Amino acid sequence: MKKIIEINHVSKEFKVLNRREGLKGSLKDLFSRDYKIVRAVDDISLSIGQGEIVGYLGPNGAGKSTTIKMMTGVLEPTEGEILVNGNVPYKNRTRNAQEIGVVFGQRSQLWWALPLVESFRILKDIYQINDGDYEEMLSLYRSLVDFEELLHKPVRQMSLGQRTLSDILAAFLHNPKIVFLDEPTIGLDVSMKGRIRTLIQALNREKKTTVILTTHDMGDVDALCQRIIIIDKGKMLYDNDIKHLKGFFGAYRTLQLRFDGDIAEQAKQLKEELAPYHAAVTAEEEWVSVLVNEEKVRVMEVLEAIQRNRVIRDMKLNEISTEEVIKKIYEEEL
Amino acid sequence: MEDSVRRTSNCSQQWLLRREVLSLTRKFVPVAQIRRLRKGMVISMKKRNLGFYLRIYRKILIQDLKSKMSYRADFIISTVGMIFTNIAGFVSFWILFQNFPSINGWGYYEMLYLYGFSLVSLTPVQCLFDNNWSLRQYVYSGDFIKYCFRPINLFFYFQSEVFDIKGLGQLMFGVGTLVYAWGKIGLACTPMMIIKTVVFLITASLVMIAVQNAAAATCFWINNSFYVLDLSMRCKDFARYPITIFSPLFKFIFTFIIPVAFIAYYPSLVILRPGEAPLLSWLSPLFGCLFFWLSYKLWMFGAMKYSGTGS
Amino acid sequence: MVIKMNLKKYLTLTRAGIIESIQFRASLFVLVLGNLLYLTVVYFLWKAIYASAGTDVVNGMTFSDTLIYLVLATALFNFMEMYTVWDMGRNIQSGKIVLDLLKPMRYRSYLFWSFSGSFVVNFFAVFLPTFLVVYIVTGGAIPIGISLFYFVIAVVMAVIINYSIDFIVGTICLYTESIWGINIMKQVIVLLLSGATIPLAFFPEPFKTVAGYLPFQSIYNTPLMILLGGGTGTEEVFEALGIQLFWCMALLACSSLFWKLSLRRITVNGG
Repeated sequence: MKKIIEINHVSKEFKVLNRREGLKGSLKDLFSRDYKIVRAVDDISLSIGQGEIVGYLGPNGAGKSTTIKMMTGVLEPTEGEILVNGNVPYKNRTRNAQEIGVVFGQRSQLWWALPLVESFRILKDIYQINDGDYEEMLSLYRSLVDFEELLHKPVRQMSLGQRTLSDILAAFLHNPKIVFLDEPTIGLDVSMKGRIRTLIQALNREKKTTVILTTHDMGDVDALCQRIIIIDKGKMLYDNDIKHLKGFFGAYRTLQLRFDGDIAEQAKQLKEELAPYHAAVTAEEEWVSVLVNEEKVRVMEVLEAIQRNRVIRDMKLNEISTEEVIKKIYEEEL
Repeated sequence: MEDSVRRTSNCSQQWLLRREVLSLTRKFVPVAQIRRLRKGMVISMKKRNLGFYLRIYRKILIQDLKSKMSYRADFIISTVGMIFTNIAGFVSFWILFQNFPSINGWGYYEMLYLYGFSLVSLTPVQCLFDNNWSLRQYVYSGDFIKYCFRPINLFFYFQSEVFDIKGLGQLMFGVGTLVYAWGKIGLACTPMMIIKTVVFLITASLVMIAVQNAAAATCFWINNSFYVLDLSMRCKDFARYPITIFSPLFKFIFTFIIPVAFIAYYPSLVILRPGEAPLLSWLSPLFGCLFFWLSYKLWMFGAMKYSGTGS
Repeated sequence: MVIKMNLKKYLTLTRAGIIESIQFRASLFVLVLGNLLYLTVVYFLWKAIYASAGTDVVNGMTFSDTLIYLVLATALFNFMEMYTVWDMGRNIQSGKIVLDLLKPMRYRSYLFWSFSGSFVVNFFAVFLPTFLVVYIVTGGAIPIGISLFYFVIAVVMAVIINYSIDFIVGTICLYTESIWGINIMKQVIVLLLSGATIPLAFFPEPFKTVAGYLPFQSIYNTPLMILLGGGTGTEEVFEALGIQLFWCMALLACSSLFWKLSLRRITVNGG
């Protein structure tokens, strides 16, 4: 597969002002300041092939936006090398811009007061799209969404969902090689989320566009991404196939149990009893969860051990979800 | 590696997961290979010349006007507001001259000429560069980043977004004042004079734009740069007075540092009192271009340095 | 007890405002520097104007009177301009006003006290330095005495009048989207007719009479004339303060009433 993005040992540092608290602190800040260096991105390397949809995940403040900004040429890395489409993005931002599309979930890039079609016409000129390609793209759009409904509506009168939809269409209009989507489904209802996912998938399939998707919604990831990259505190934690991630965690199953009596007390006892079975016990409101690694021990064995000393009132058996996997990775501090 | 981890029987599950995850992080492509890749890529892009930009500007402008006209009430109220501003400005001017017949040897009509001149030269900055006033909010909120992803000149793209039609009212008022003062002073109406006037009006506009650009660009470095812009706008009010009233230090400041003297005084000297006009007056078109270019560079430099706040 | 609680509620807003305005060191610097620059320019300009006039006293005002008047008018403007109309307009358009209405205090108080922090900062950063500089430059032409006390009272009333006018104009934004147009009209009228740009003493006769019957002159002209008048003419001072008090009451009542009536629009239409 042809590589379209190459990131090589890239780091980005920011100088941040340490602000003091309270009125006194602010007055002190007025005369003396205290800066610290924050490493927002720390030695990240990755490469992305043409036509991939990559989920770029991480908790808030992990350094996702910083990486995206470096890939789009808005930020210059402190160290390391980035190549997008064979270009160094920050050295030739305009040239890079011709080949990429960007969507921010909360910030529309369209002309606020203009009907969508007029925004498209301006974009057609800006990106120098020829008439044939433009018409072809519009007819593709017509086949994918209720395009006519959007086309003549000023952006400011659109609902959030329609606006996001329009922003995505605008980002793909010049048939860029890469599209960056930053939380495209944020704040949308379930049905709109579904429509947007279908649209992204279809555009990726039709145009072989590489899509880099940052999101906090694991539904997006499950629906769209073959591969995910996870970063936290600027460091890369995971970069591989989503199937691999699930397959690996698939060996784990969660047993949820309900007993009579005090849950916390039961959980404590269970923890001791289950020590030889490599099972982790946690107590949530009414349920006790037991995480079982099936490669080492069968669920039935654990269940038997539990039943030996007490009566189970209710029981659920869960596969681990992507959401839980990601949560686990975020929560484990390195 | 993975096997060794699995064999450790009493390791906690979480620790195991973490090691597993780390070992999955993948290998990198060597730099040499990337260099090769870069050489091979040629991206075709048509040349973006002045015609290209003018075409886009015209398109945005027409659409913008169309949508503005659709808010009729707002349009009317704003226009009335603009007329009010101009009338009030003129009334203050008139009251001043009711009390003082001349200022530093400049009579009423000459000062009126300066006044009209500065109004006309302020029109372009008002009409075409009004988005500068919002720059600080865009930068502060992080929304400025949306301008960074287009394959056209950033400065152009940002300024093209807003056309402030209200400025045209000021233009009419200014032209009226200028023509009236012209007649009263009894200036000749030769083609040469008109060309001179137009050239020097453009000069003055460029300077005004430069001052505003530079003031707006400070927001890339200073949070809440409103005061800078406000100050630069207040300075423009002094453009209406002959610079000779100031002490040498301020003459220097208003000529080279905050070049408001180029907004009306130096250019109009050439027309009103060609005999008295210093070399600076004749050179002011050059200075106008220079100041504009410098301010553009500063603006772009700030924008390039801009790193965006938040996500 | 209740009063103490209430005051604390408001002073918290003031404190937050102060912290917010001094966070930005550079802009504070520009504010102070810009003001000094402005002072100098006004000085030279009026010096030249008076020099060309040939006489020392024009319309009863000497050069230093005019200088003090104009410079302090600008300083007062800086500290009285609260951008109320902008804030209200923006909040109304974005719908944020609904959140502000939920705060446990009256909207007009909330807005006022939220801004009071920059009031304090502006007083120390702009008004006080300006006052001192002018005092020194004019060689003590500002009479320090009982008139200073009247001046403070007049300024307090001027702030209330100015804020009430702003609030009335801001309320109009509930009916129209044209914040810019409304605001610029208000600003132009207030600045001209209050004597902020040119002292009312310079106005030709019919203008002066008309301005005298309007509330605007109470904002800048009255406090500054009281200050310049020194201790003389106590009766005149009291008369001016009386007129101010009248406008104060009238505009407070008007703005409250207008707001209350207009608020129904929000509650009915949902903003």
